[in-house]
Amino acid sequence: MSALAAHGGTVAALSNYVFPNDWHVHWSLMIVLYPYITGIVAGAFIVSSLYHVFGIKQLEPISRYSLIFALAFLACATWPLLLHLGHPERSYSMLITPNPTSAMAGFGFIYSAYFILLVHEILFIYRPTMVTLWKQSTGFKRWLYGFLAFNNDNLSPEAIRLDHRIISFLAGIGIPMACILHGYVGFIFGGIKANPLWATPLMPLIFLLSACVSGIAGIIFSYILIKKFTGQEIDVDCVRTSIKFLWGFFILDFVFEMLEVFTHFYMNTHHWHVLENLLWGPLYNTYWLYQVKIFSVIPFIVLGVLSLFKFKDRVILFFAPIVSFMILIQVLLMRWNVVVGGQLMSHSTRGQVTFVPEWLGREGILVAIFIMIAPVVILFILSKIFPLWVNKEAANEQPIT
Amino acid sequence: MIDIKKEIQQDRRAFIKKVLGGTIAGSLLLVIPATAQEVAEEIPGMRAEDSVFTKKKFVFIVDITACIGCGSCCVADKAEYNVPDHNYRTWVERYIIDDHDGVYVDSPNGGLDGYTKPREGLPYPTRDTFFVPKLCNMCEDPSCVQVCPVGATYKTNDGFVLVDKTRCVGCSYCIQACPYSVRFINPVTRTAEKCTWCYHRVRKGLLPACVSVCPVHARKFGDLSDKTSEVWKILHEPHVISVLKPDMGNKPALHYLGLRREVV
Amino acid sequence: MHSESKTKYYSHLVKLIIAMIVLGVAGFFARQLFSPESMGEYGHYRGADIEDQKNVPVRLQTNESCFQCHKPVRRIHKKGVHKSVSCEVCHGPYADHVKDGKKIGMLPVKKGKEITHLCLRCHNKVIQARPRTSIKMVGMPEHLQEKKVRIENTCDQCHMVHDPLLWINQAKEMIGIKEEM
Repeated sequence: MSALAAHGGTVAALSNYVFPNDWHVHWSLMIVLYPYITGIVAGAFIVSSLYHVFGIKQLEPISRYSLIFALAFLACATWPLLLHLGHPERSYSMLITPNPTSAMAGFGFIYSAYFILLVHEILFIYRPTMVTLWKQSTGFKRWLYGFLAFNNDNLSPEAIRLDHRIISFLAGIGIPMACILHGYVGFIFGGIKANPLWATPLMPLIFLLSACVSGIAGIIFSYILIKKFTGQEIDVDCVRTSIKFLWGFFILDFVFEMLEVFTHFYMNTHHWHVLENLLWGPLYNTYWLYQVKIFSVIPFIVLGVLSLFKFKDRVILFFAPIVSFMILIQVLLMRWNVVVGGQLMSHSTRGQVTFVPEWLGREGILVAIFIMIAPVVILFILSKIFPLWVNKEAANEQPIT
Repeated sequence: MIDIKKEIQQDRRAFIKKVLGGTIAGSLLLVIPATAQEVAEEIPGMRAEDSVFTKKKFVFIVDITACIGCGSCCVADKAEYNVPDHNYRTWVERYIIDDHDGVYVDSPNGGLDGYTKPREGLPYPTRDTFFVPKLCNMCEDPSCVQVCPVGATYKTNDGFVLVDKTRCVGCSYCIQACPYSVRFINPVTRTAEKCTWCYHRVRKGLLPACVSVCPVHARKFGDLSDKTSEVWKILHEPHVISVLKPDMGNKPALHYLGLRREVV
Repeated sequence: MHSESKTKYYSHLVKLIIAMIVLGVAGFFARQLFSPESMGEYGHYRGADIEDQKNVPVRLQTNESCFQCHKPVRRIHKKGVHKSVSCEVCHGPYADHVKDGKKIGMLPVKKGKEITHLCLRCHNKVIQARPRTSIKMVGMPEHLQEKKVRIENTCDQCHMVHDPLLWINQAKEMIGIKEEM
């Protein structure tokens, strides 16, 4: 390798060898979005659990919102997968005849189970609100709210107690489920021994931590934006606490990401020589420049300063959305660098390809933009049904501890 | 000399006759051989096998000291399966190792058009050069079968790893998992495809297409349970025999004779 | 908050449990209904695919298949140094030419430079990766210069492609006879 490096680019080009079938990048933008979206779901659920299970009272204003936010994204999580499949009409096979040894076959079940769990947690938390709205409204809305309240308007103390028990049960299994959902997505990549970038037991952990980070960042960003646009009052205390959690999770996430690379570098095996050519080759800009230098180091410092020092509300509300957005970009870049980056090195271990996503087409940039807008639209629709913000009417609800 | 002229003339005559095809003799010439079309069995005892799975244990041996890189195998393979352009069930790589341990590999169009030019611009004198044909490794523990979410790719009891194109969902997970990159998504069927060691030919007693066309007999295919087979003899002799990426733990049934450590 | 409810306080939980059971049963039957018939017969795959795989059409036959009609070529090809070369690699697959014993199409005939290109796939000396001993290697155009023929000559002008040494040997024989006389 050193002899080659001395000869510079031309010899490097001569020694670049890609297996003929490896010129195709099969997992492109859609498979980048898939872990991104499920990550946001898992992270948002964790935010809600911080209030509902761990009793972080400052997060109460966003406890309900984050569940609805998670549902909006979860509803779209399978879209990129279906768009990616060569035969989406056969996707039911994954549920009908799942291969027990496949790391992918479990996704349908984990996804479905998590979907059911999330919907029911929302319905049980919202039941008193639903009953109130049910009784107030007429026509279709009346029918809908009745349905969402399980057609049970009983709000007696024993009913509320039962609901709370169910909620605590669902939230209790919800946290490991959210972790499994996203740790599992990491395992889909981490279990591929043929790919040196993916094959690390740290992969599920890094995916999980980055999921928490992206979920919290997504909640902070959208919370401040929605409140500003609708002219409502922002609970700055809640934002401050969220920022602290975001920083905490991001410390773990970023440190593990770097430790993974550093350990490979230090061990300096053949594995690393392959990675080295990737990270300093086709992935240099998206990994080192964008993911690490710009969108990790800067938010890392800003979050630290915001968490450690007491700033005026104005300063917090100015920096919080910016830094959250940067974190959202960081996680998207991380997904890109893992999913696409892993495929840029040929299994020949001697060559790399470059990849630029297409604009049009089933897996193009336009479709990706559409998929990222869809959860926002769904969130808007859901907000018409489920009041996003905890108001006085529901204030008697207590966190379950 | 007279002999050959006669022969060529005969050939031409036969050719003209076939094209015109008007006379009874001409059409007979076309029809008669059809009844005697059956080709001799190339794998001994294969046509007698009537169970779902054969009792044989097949191995594939590629002799890289014999391969001349003509690409006949690639041509045959593409013709046998109508493989879409830029996708390869089999391909041939050219390795050049220089005396500074530099390794230069290329495989223009998978070797399908043969190798017509030497490599230029290499910095040091060449130490060794050779060709390495690649195809499905037919692993004992295939990664592709492990990861397929719907059981569309599977291993038969007699060791063939096959893809059910009526069930493949086209998720490409097997392509990510295969350490040897022998799989691709067929752009026409949108399903995963790979070399099958010509399962359909083998079951009919024929050799795989690439084996049957190789002019220098660099590709060998046979039954390891048959002690008279060539592959049995090779694997029981003190040759340098290895498999690709043994540390992947896939235990390939594709063996390489005279493999160098530089080959991945 | 409201007037006393008529429904039991646990009624929604009962409804939910019933829905779960219904869903589970429906899933079980859907699995029975939509699984391929021979799924799991031999392993976690559609067993009938073995038969489908066996029935993939054979497109390439052996040289013997070609020789059943092309008898004159057979005599030349089988005797010469090219006897291990496959007909179909140069001419195209059998299945594009014959189906059910009937000719269904013409295979393209290679001419001139195409023939030279085919020859050089194997015999090109500049491709050093080739084992030098197994087959005869020539450099182009040195070979043409050495043999004192025109540089634009194609291989088939001197070499009978089905037995490259046939004419050469015959010519040598004739010259030999002449010399003896």
